[in-house]
Amino acid sequence: MSDLVQTFAALGDATRFAIVERLLIRGALPAGDLLDVADISAPAISRHLKVLREAGLITQTVDKQRRIYAVDPAAMQSIEKWMLDHEAFWKGSLDRLAAALDRED
Amino acid sequence: MPTLTLERHFDAPPERVFAFVSQTEHLLKWWGPEGMFVPEHQLSFERTGPWMSVMKNDEGQRFKVSGHVTHVDPPNSVGFTWAWHDENDQRGVESHVTIKLVPAQNGGTQFTLSHVDLPSDEVAANHEQGWTSSLRKLERLASA
Repeated sequence: MSDLVQTFAALGDATRFAIVERLLIRGALPAGDLLDVADISAPAISRHLKVLREAGLITQTVDKQRRIYAVDPAAMQSIEKWMLDHEAFWKGSLDRLAAALDRED
Repeated sequence: MPTLTLERHFDAPPERVFAFVSQTEHLLKWWGPEGMFVPEHQLSFERTGPWMSVMKNDEGQRFKVSGHVTHVDPPNSVGFTWAWHDENDQRGVESHVTIKLVPAQNGGTQFTLSHVDLPSDEVAANHEQGWTSSLRKLERLASA
């Protein structure tokens, strides 16, 4: 759970959210293609990339001189799992239980 | 500690409802929200001991949950522990589920489910407001 807190904290910033959003839409990108997500300096973008990397949201690989960033699918999966909350699970299940009991009366 | 309590009335007697909440063949008819199916399971609340289920949705996402059946008292109640597994099959924070059945006057059953020690409220309280809509947006993107 502490991982998720870190994940959400990292996403709770407009610039970092924009970075993740762009990587989700366009796939892996070099750092240079992320500089225009916000009107801030390259070093500032670089700091945001570091935060996202440390939160496990994105990965960094090196291709020759370029650093390539991509969304880590595991982070997306853990968010989705959290979204399937217990109330939704049980309410959905109990509706089906009621229907199953009725069906076999 | 956060507690989720859901109450329902069913038009069937407790014995019949108990069969549906304890026997594998019946559990598989309703376990998981609409759109989920259960390709792997050890799902019986007729005896104490381990249980598990793997649920999948239409998009192929896999959700595993497991625990231990702690008590079985037909046709009155069952109790079991509950924890989601992460993608590395590590069990997360454990919570506890109790289902109670009480005979209702018209021959039906008053059904109460409580799920306690849930970590999600605690997690939610730690988040800044405003990320929920962002998350929905992200989820749409991730599943596109």
